[in-house]
Amino acid sequence: MKYKTQKIAYWFFAACMLLFSLQLVYGFILGFARMGFDNLHELIPFNTARAVHTNLLVVWLLTGFMGSAYYIIPEESEREIWMPKLAWIQLISLLLVGVVAVVGYHFNHWEGRKFLEIPRELDYLVVVNVLTFLLIIFMTIWTGKRKTTTAMVLFFGLLMSALLYLPGMIDFDNVTFDSFFRWWVVHLWVEGVWELIMGAILSFLLIKLTGIDREVIEKWLYVIVGFTFLSGILGTGHHYYYTGAPRYWLMVGGVFSALEPLAFLGMAMYALSMARRGGRKNPNRIALMWTLGCAIMSFVGAGFLGFAHTLPGVNMWTHGTLVTAMHGHMAFWGAYAMIVLAMISYALPQLTGRAMHKHWMAEWGFWLSNIGMVCMTGAFGVMGVAQVYMERKAGMDFMHVQESLEVHAFGLVCAGALLTLGMVFFIKNFISYGLPVMDESAGAVTSNPVPAAPDKSL
Amino acid sequence: MLTKSAAKAFFLGGTALCGVAFLLLTMDTLKAMPERSNQEQMSEQVVRGHHIWNKNNCMGCHTLMGEGAYYAPELTKVVERRGEVYIDDLLRDPSRYTQDGRQMVKYDIFNPDEVGEEVSAGHRADIIAFLAWVGRIDTNGFPADPDMAVDTSRQPTPVTAAVLAEAPKQMGTCFGCHSVQGGGGTVGPALDGVSSRLDRDYLIKWISDPQSVKPGTTMPNLGIKGEDMDTIIQYLETL
Ligand code: HEC
Ligand code: HEC
Ligand code: HEM
Ligand code: HEM
Ligand SMILES: [Fe+2]
Repeated sequence: MKYKTQKIAYWFFAACMLLFSLQLVYGFILGFARMGFDNLHELIPFNTARAVHTNLLVVWLLTGFMGSAYYIIPEESEREIWMPKLAWIQLISLLLVGVVAVVGYHFNHWEGRKFLEIPRELDYLVVVNVLTFLLIIFMTIWTGKRKTTTAMVLFFGLLMSALLYLPGMIDFDNVTFDSFFRWWVVHLWVEGVWELIMGAILSFLLIKLTGIDREVIEKWLYVIVGFTFLSGILGTGHHYYYTGAPRYWLMVGGVFSALEPLAFLGMAMYALSMARRGGRKNPNRIALMWTLGCAIMSFVGAGFLGFAHTLPGVNMWTHGTLVTAMHGHMAFWGAYAMIVLAMISYALPQLTGRAMHKHWMAEWGFWLSNIGMVCMTGAFGVMGVAQVYMERKAGMDFMHVQESLEVHAFGLVCAGALLTLGMVFFIKNFISYGLPVMDESAGAVTSNPVPAAPDKSL
Repeated sequence: MLTKSAAKAFFLGGTALCGVAFLLLTMDTLKAMPERSNQEQMSEQVVRGHHIWNKNNCMGCHTLMGEGAYYAPELTKVVERRGEVYIDDLLRDPSRYTQDGRQMVKYDIFNPDEVGEEVSAGHRADIIAFLAWVGRIDTNGFPADPDMAVDTSRQPTPVTAAVLAEAPKQMGTCFGCHSVQGGGGTVGPALDGVSSRLDRDYLIKWISDPQSVKPGTTMPNLGIKGEDMDTIIQYLETL
């Protein structure tokens, strides 16, 4: 930690851990309901559990991006965070809005469009909150000593995410318009501007972990985000095939979305080749594992599994089945959950001055959670393909098919348990780092490289 | 070798180009969607139904036009599939319809015991009107008809007693492959009205040696001649 205001990032990351844990709890409620044990129905019906599960996911990822920005921007701009007190207010208000929204879902208070369930009055608070965040980041960059490409791409990604939230707030009487603009948020986030955020964090981590020249890394960053937008913007069309939009989207969406995996492939090849070329051996091996893991898993989950159902001829059958859930889980995990976990793994030793990343729990956390996610993807995949053939292709009754898939939901829950065990290790490891160093002089000393592990037996 | 400024130009240029193309297509789509969704038929009742749909997050269990959750049936064509009476009755108290395990929320707004018969019937009519309107949106063919459905019309069914009472015993083998009045096999065409399609000479030639008339046909030479042939032809002429 070079700048003492960076420690605000620690609290954003701690909030991530809390929200992620809750997300997993609701994941189990969904999993059990799918197994036929919808026993909490009176209290928490499936649509409530689902909205909480996915909204907590989005909120903890955003919290993680913000924490990452508060960590990265001072180092890139070479100055302290502008108005750190405001950053505290921003964190607390973000959590408050999130908690109020999630509690409201238990009382049928929401907007009822998947991923955009947050009710309107809270939407405005989210906007104010995010504007505050952007102002802090902008002022820090603006008055900083240097403006790096990594910082600019990160800022641009965050700014565009905020702007693209707005189309989701327009009211329509016609449901096809609801659907059309919902994707401006959902698709243009995950297959557009969030990839900028991911790319920028990846660049930062690669610069720090491999010691490769910034110019080289940032050049490739431009190429990759170039591919992202080239394919991703018109690729939005893969959601417009069957929702009332004109037929030409089958062509436009099909062609451009089929190119989207290239951006993820580029990301994976770039991370792996930089890591191989990198001379400097950073002692934080676990952060490098999460970084490279993110690059690989995002290619598999988003690129490969996304491609698997993106062509119109395939999507006609898989549209709105568990095949989508299979892809959604691994894509969100690989691209966004893992990049945040990578950033946390990198930043914690720096923030706290302790070297707990050498601990076995860190390693087990990585492997168990990833194996768990691969198995979950498999379980969803089996259910999805079976559903497509039985319900969509052979015309069997929906509920009848779902009943026959309950046994696979058991597999899903087991895989989820493995993932959760991995996260228990990760979070225990997180806690064992202790709080960030409060002593202002110590902050400067514990900057890169990290001190060696104090004791093997920890 | 690619320079950083060239890479930056690629990023900015590509983004601008695709962004403009996307906005142009969006404008065209916004113009086309009212007609594709029959917006002129979108009555106030439909709009109220849409509101109920959003307000209660039905999309958190169901999909509509393939969007939503995968826990409960796809509803784009539900009015066509189930009819209004079924849906109206289900909404009153879904627990009578859901199997053990999976549940649908019992909404007060649809429940006569909570808000009265008249008000609840109004809400149910709103949502049904909305779903019926959605069912008519041009979705480019979604959801597709099952293309691997077991074709039950091709399954053999027993010959009815009435037909058997009329038919001579020589027809026994024929019913393995042919049907009369809906009963019988499905390998060959139904024999109803066959004598009006084919004349006596042709029938005799065909039945005594199908291969000579149509080489490669699946109908075998059953070695029928003489009296048996006359009986069969006589029978076929009654069909
Ligand atoms: C908690 C999950 C859940 C929510 C929320 C929910 N449903 Fe359902 N719904 C179900 C389930 C499960 C069934 C299947 C019942 C059966 O046939 O076994 C169903 C069946 C239906 C059906 C009949 C479908 C068919 O093909 O037979 C209709 C229509 C329907 N729901 C409408 C609605 C509407 C309108 C809303 C919102 C006001 C809604 N549902 C909210 C779970 C839900
Ligand atoms: C193994 C199955 C099989 C059996 C047994 C069989 N048929 Fe056929 N039959 C066919 C098939 C297949 C065709 C259609 C031939 C073609 O068009 O290639 C056919 C065609 C015919 C036709 C022409 C129908 C038309 O509308 O064009 C007649 C008449 C007919 N069969 C009579 C008989 C009679 C009478 C018997 C019993 C003595 C008999 N078949 C037994 C398979 C069979
Ligand atoms: C990190 C990036 C990605 C994430 C997080 C992600 C996540 C998701 C999620 C959550 C959904 C469900 C959305 C909803 O129904 O509201 C979805 C749908 C979809 N995704 Fe992705 N995705 C990513 C990248 C991709 C890519 C690169 C492709 C194509 C190559 C792709 C193809 C699709 C398609 C075709 C659907 C629609 C499925 C349907 O019709 O039901 N995705 N994605
Ligand atoms: C304990 C482990 C988990 C279980 C059992 C679980 C289960 C589920 C279930 C059953 C659904 C609803 C599918 C449906 O509509 O029927 C769902 C949705 C979703 N979950 Fe999870 N989940 C778990 C963990 C996660 C994690 C770690 C992530 C993110 C990385 C995640 C992201 C999502 C997303 C994005 C959706 C929405 C998918 C879509 O709309 O297509 N889940 N989950
Ligand atoms: Fe998409």
